[in-house]
Amino acid sequence: MKRDDIHIISRNSNWSKNGVETVLKAEIYSDATAWKKFVHILLISLGVGFSVSGIIFFFAYNWADLHKFVKIGMVEGLIAILTLFIVFSKLNLNIKNIILTGTSVLVGVMIAVFGQIYQTGANAYDFFLGWTAFITIWVVISNYAPLWLVYIVLLNTSFMLYSEQVAPNWSGVFILTILFLSNTILLAISLYIPKIRKEAIIPIWFTIILALASVFFATSGVVVGIAEDKHNLSFLALIILAIAIYLAGFFYGLRIKSGFYLSVIPFSVIIIFSAILIKISSGATMFFIVSIFIISSVTLLIKSLMDIQKKWNNE
Amino acid sequence: MNSETKLKSTLDTNFHSEGEDFRFDEVAIENEYSKLNGDKSSIAIKILSVLGGFLATMAFLGFMMIAGLYDSKGGMVITGILSIGFAIWINVMFNKLIIDTLSVSTYAIGISLLAVGLSYMEVDENIISILFIVIAMITLAIMQNYILSFISILIINGGFLFLIINNDVYNLIHIYNAIITILLTYVFLNEGKLIIGNKLISKLYNPVRIGLIMSLLTGLVFVGKTGIFENHVYAIWASSIITIPVTLYVISIIAGIMGVAETRTKIIIYTACTLILLPTAFSPAVSGALLIILLSFLVNYKIGVSIGIIAFIYFISQYYYDLNFTLLTKSILMLSTGIIFLIFYFFTFKKLKPDEEI
Repeated sequence: MKRDDIHIISRNSNWSKNGVETVLKAEIYSDATAWKKFVHILLISLGVGFSVSGIIFFFAYNWADLHKFVKIGMVEGLIAILTLFIVFSKLNLNIKNIILTGTSVLVGVMIAVFGQIYQTGANAYDFFLGWTAFITIWVVISNYAPLWLVYIVLLNTSFMLYSEQVAPNWSGVFILTILFLSNTILLAISLYIPKIRKEAIIPIWFTIILALASVFFATSGVVVGIAEDKHNLSFLALIILAIAIYLAGFFYGLRIKSGFYLSVIPFSVIIIFSAILIKISSGATMFFIVSIFIISSVTLLIKSLMDIQKKWNNE
Repeated sequence: MNSETKLKSTLDTNFHSEGEDFRFDEVAIENEYSKLNGDKSSIAIKILSVLGGFLATMAFLGFMMIAGLYDSKGGMVITGILSIGFAIWINVMFNKLIIDTLSVSTYAIGISLLAVGLSYMEVDENIISILFIVIAMITLAIMQNYILSFISILIINGGFLFLIINNDVYNLIHIYNAIITILLTYVFLNEGKLIIGNKLISKLYNPVRIGLIMSLLTGLVFVGKTGIFENHVYAIWASSIITIPVTLYVISIIAGIMGVAETRTKIIIYTACTLILLPTAFSPAVSGALLIILLSFLVNYKIGVSIGIIAFIYFISQYYYDLNFTLLTKSILMLSTGIIFLIFYFFTFKKLKPDEEI
C-alpha cells in the first residue's frame, strides 16, 4: 500500500485512527533497520565533512611560520595515510568510498597549498585540471557515484576556466555547445554501462543531474545564440546537435517509460520557442502572446504526459 | 493490473483487522483513484506546472509593464481580483491536473496585480498583507488543489513575515519560528489522526506539509544569517529554545523505533545529542534544518529529507562563515567536531552494523 492509497481510503471510510497509524508505521515509515543505516551514514558524513573542512580552513589560514615543505608535506602525508587506510582496512565499501571522496577533496587542498606557496593565482584553470587529473584513477576504481559527480563538476569547471583564461576569443555559443556535448556523452555512457555490465548500478539521481546539466547547457546555448545578431558556425552545429540529441532523448524516454525525459526536453523546447518569439518582436503584444503560448503549451504537455502515463499504467 | 482491480485487492487484503464495522465510500474512492490514475510521476508534472506558471506570469507582467497598464490603479486592482477569482473558479469547476499551469499563472498574476495596484493607491501595507493572508485562507477553504494550496500557505506565512519586517518588530521572528516548528512537528507526527478526520484537512495534508517546511526555512534564514537584520534581531539563540527541545523530543521517538530500552544507553544518547545540539544554540537554523531531516526521514518523506540536507549544509556553512574567529580557530573547531563524529561512528559501529543476515 502506498501513502496515497492510505490517504484516499482513510478520508472516504470510517477507518480507525489506530488502524491508519499501524499501517503507516508498518508500510510507509522508516523502521529500525532504515534508522540504523541513516545514523551510520549521518555520523560518517558529518565526521568526514567536518574534518575535511577543518583541514581546508587550516591551510586557508596560511600560517606564515610554517615552512613550505611542512605545509605541503602535511597534506601529502594525510592523503597517503588515508589512502593506505582505505586500501588495508576492513571497513565496508560504502564507508571507504565516503572517505575516498574526502581524500579527493584533499587533493584539491594540496594543489591550492601549492598555488599559495608559488603564487599561481586562486582560480587558475590548471589548478582544477591538475586536481581532476590526479583523482582520475580513484574515481575509476571506486566507481562511486558521488565521487563521479565531483569529478564531472571538476571537468566542467576546468573547461569553463580554461575558456575564460586561455581562450577568451571563443564565443559563448561555442563554449555552451562543448559543455552540452560533453555532458551528453557522459550521460549516454552512464546510461549504457548498466546494459553491458549487469553488476554496475548507476543511481537514478546521477543520470537525472547529468541530463539536467546537458539540457541546461543546450537551452542556454540556443537562447544565447538566438539573442545574438551575428551567427557563426557553432550555432548551426549546436542546433543540429540539439535537434538530434533531443529527438534521441525523447524516444529514449518513451522507450524506458520515463516521464522525466518526456517533460524536461519539451520544456526546453518551449523556452527556446518563447526566446524566438521575443527575438521577433519585444513589444507588449508579443509578451502577451508569449504568456498565452507558455500556458497553453505547458498545459498541452502535461495533458499528453498524463495520457501517456495512463497508457503505461494500463499496459 | 488496472486501477480498479488494484483497489479491490488493496481493500480486501488490508481491512480484516478493522472488523465488521468497516465502511467505505466506494464511489468516492474510485473517483479519487481515476483522478490520480496516470499521475505516477506527479513530481515532474507539479514542477512543470509551477515553472510554466512562473514563466507565463513573468511574461504577462512584462506585457503589462510595456503596455503601460500600470498607470491605471483601479484597473490593476479589478484585473487582480478577477484573476484570483478566475483561478479559484476554474479549479472548483474542473479540478484536474491539466489546468494547474493556467490556474497557477492567473492566481500569481492576480496576486501581483492586486499588490501593485493597492500599494499605488497608497493603501496601508499592513492592511495589504492582512488582506493577502485572508485571501490565501479563503483559497485554502474553497479548494484543495496541491499547488495552489502550497502557494497559499507560502502567502499566509509570507504575509506574517512581511508584517514583522514592515513594523520593525524583528524579535517576533522567534515567535514565528516557534509556532511553525511546533505546527510542522505536529503535522508530521499526527498524519494518521489528521487524514482520517475532516476531508478538507485530509486533502490539504500534503501541500501543508511541504508549505510548512518552506515557511520554517524562510523563518530560519532570518536567524541563520547574521547581517540580514544585524541590528534588529536580538538574542538570535532565542529560537533555539523551541528547536532544540523539539529535536530532542523527535530523537526520543527515534530511539523508541530503534528499540533502545536500557536506561544507561538512553542516558548516553540524550547526553550526546544534547552536547552536540547545545553549541548550535547560537544558530537555531542548524537544529531547525536537522529537525526537518529527522521528521522527514521518520515518515519516509524523501523530498523533505533532500530539502533538509541542502538547508543543513547551507546553515552550517553560514554559521562558520559568520563566526568571528580566525581561520585557524575555525579550523580547530571543525576538526575537533569532525573527530568527535568519527569517534561516535566507530564507537557505535558494532551496535549499528546493519544485520543483513537476519
